[in-house]
Amino acid sequence: MPDSGLIADLSYRGYDGPLLPPTHRWWVIARLGVRQAFRKRAYWVVTALSAWYYLVMMAVLFFFERAAQSAPGPRSEAGFEAFLGRIVWKDQFLHGFGFAQLLYLIAALMLGAGAIANDNRSKALLVILSKPCDKRDYLAGKWMGVFLPLLTMMLLPSLVFFLYGALSYRDYGFLDNPWFFPKFLLVLVLGAAVHSSLVIGVSSLFDQGRLAGASYAGIYFLTNFFTQLMVFAWLTAQGFRRGGGRVSGGQSPFAEYVDRLYYLSVDGLLIGLCKAILGTDGSPQFGMPSPIRPVPAPPLLPTVAVAVALCVAGVAVAWSRIRAVEVVR
Amino acid sequence: MVASLQNLTVRYGSFTALDSLSAEIPEGCVGLLGPNGAGKTTLIKTMLGFLTPAEGGGSVLGLDIRTQGREIRQRVGLMPEQDCHIPGLNAVQFVAFAGELAGMPSELALRRAHEVLEYCGLGEARYRNVETYSTGMKQRIKLAQALVHGPRLLLLDEPTNGLDPRGREEMLDLIRTVSHGKGVNVIVSSHLLPDVERVCDHVVVVSRGKVTEQGAIARLKVIEGRPIDIELKEESPEFVRALRDLGAAVEAMGLVLRVRLEGSAEQVSATIFRTARQTGAQVRGLAVAQRSLEGVFEEAVRA
Repeated sequence: MPDSGLIADLSYRGYDGPLLPPTHRWWVIARLGVRQAFRKRAYWVVTALSAWYYLVMMAVLFFFERAAQSAPGPRSEAGFEAFLGRIVWKDQFLHGFGFAQLLYLIAALMLGAGAIANDNRSKALLVILSKPCDKRDYLAGKWMGVFLPLLTMMLLPSLVFFLYGALSYRDYGFLDNPWFFPKFLLVLVLGAAVHSSLVIGVSSLFDQGRLAGASYAGIYFLTNFFTQLMVFAWLTAQGFRRGGGRVSGGQSPFAEYVDRLYYLSVDGLLIGLCKAILGTDGSPQFGMPSPIRPVPAPPLLPTVAVAVALCVAGVAVAWSRIRAVEVVR
Repeated sequence: MVASLQNLTVRYGSFTALDSLSAEIPEGCVGLLGPNGAGKTTLIKTMLGFLTPAEGGGSVLGLDIRTQGREIRQRVGLMPEQDCHIPGLNAVQFVAFAGELAGMPSELALRRAHEVLEYCGLGEARYRNVETYSTGMKQRIKLAQALVHGPRLLLLDEPTNGLDPRGREEMLDLIRTVSHGKGVNVIVSSHLLPDVERVCDHVVVVSRGKVTEQGAIARLKVIEGRPIDIELKEESPEFVRALRDLGAAVEAMGLVLRVRLEGSAEQVSATIFRTARQTGAQVRGLAVAQRSLEGVFEEAVRA
């Protein structure tokens, strides 16, 4: 308790230092979210795991190149050229993004499930909103606190692969499209935004992070299960050749319908978004020949519109659940 | 004046929570009293800028409650009644975060967090997660987060809730120290009248959305006519009769007599002692009679 002594004066003293203008407090809340995320070892583990496709692809490229160099001759060089010829560079980013979807979900749960739910439990709003903050600051801060670490997680592995490709395979068309990386960045921004908005919206409905996390995971897997079921039904009907029946000529209305259903899940939407923005249907992974044809890309504008609508819906749910006026009960 | 409110009317739909409430809240430590549902909470919300009054207006620390809510909250510290914290943070991080939210640069907020936690008696536990704190410690950390940015006004909502007797004493000492001579004005909203009486100099009593009494506690406790309470060792009808013969109004309350006599305080006490000597009564105590704060409160609520 307050006590004055010869060594240390512990009695109350006022604060006469500077106070910043009472605006943009969302950044203080966001910064706390980012700091807490970056302190978690699990976050970095998941980030590293999400890079697996890029790492394997880099290893494949490296060993193919080494193999070509160790056995010089026109055959090996032609083999390496043929291998590189099968690789569609932008599709490698599509695969990297697609194969990491589950890890993005795990990161979203880790970062966002408790973002508002735990605050509801601990009544953190009583503290936060008694300062010069309002509902907008709080929501923007919480959203950014999930979005920025998620974006970082999505960006880092692809950036490493991009730098590797740009330095090593420029002569093989890696940098042919100057708009490729900005487009891919847009995919990552939208992907992180969809996850952040949905998980924040779900989090605001609960007062326990675990329940919010289980609910979001439930939504994710249920939609995913439904769409996979649709695709499986279609594949069974078509003889296990993905591609909406285009392989065998005319496409049935049923097949086209199922093509679209494939994207009716959180990860499906994000993969569809990636295909639509990058302008690709996809190609076999690791440049290996494959009889399976990829599902065609969905139309760009409706897909982006659905993604934006989901973002708005998630934020709207959170907005309706945060009651600033309840700061004093 | 810390706050000046004029004809403040706040409605929730058709329900009027504050009904043309006017109050002048002076500097120092002020108790905000009122029964449940009287409008205290609504008053605090309105003063913090969370509710826009339907009519009337006012200012807190010279800032308009209608348009300058953020500025008000930057200069005010609120200690809520309920337990609250930011999950996953230890005490230093929590208090520093509160400081940053109030607008302190992060380095200063961190330094100040250490100081304030030390002051609030949490120096030893500053690196512990707040979720592991006891009730008393949680009360203290709520005070620390309210004090971190050096507010000019502290709003304390039931600050001694859940504290054991020693903790309560310490919390009241803290409030008393902060509110006297440290440049911090305090408004204490509490149902515990002894607590309010101990730390506050003024009270504002709210009932049915209106201020029914306000002023310095010492003034409110004064009884009209300034009667004297005389405590006797044993009952003495002769003494009572002799006082009445002198023209005094005497009200017997067991061994205590409440006496109203004309004259200055010195003259009255001299008359009482002389009469006691003449009638053989033994006077054990003599004091100017006062109403209890509870009496003041009940009267104000009934009004």
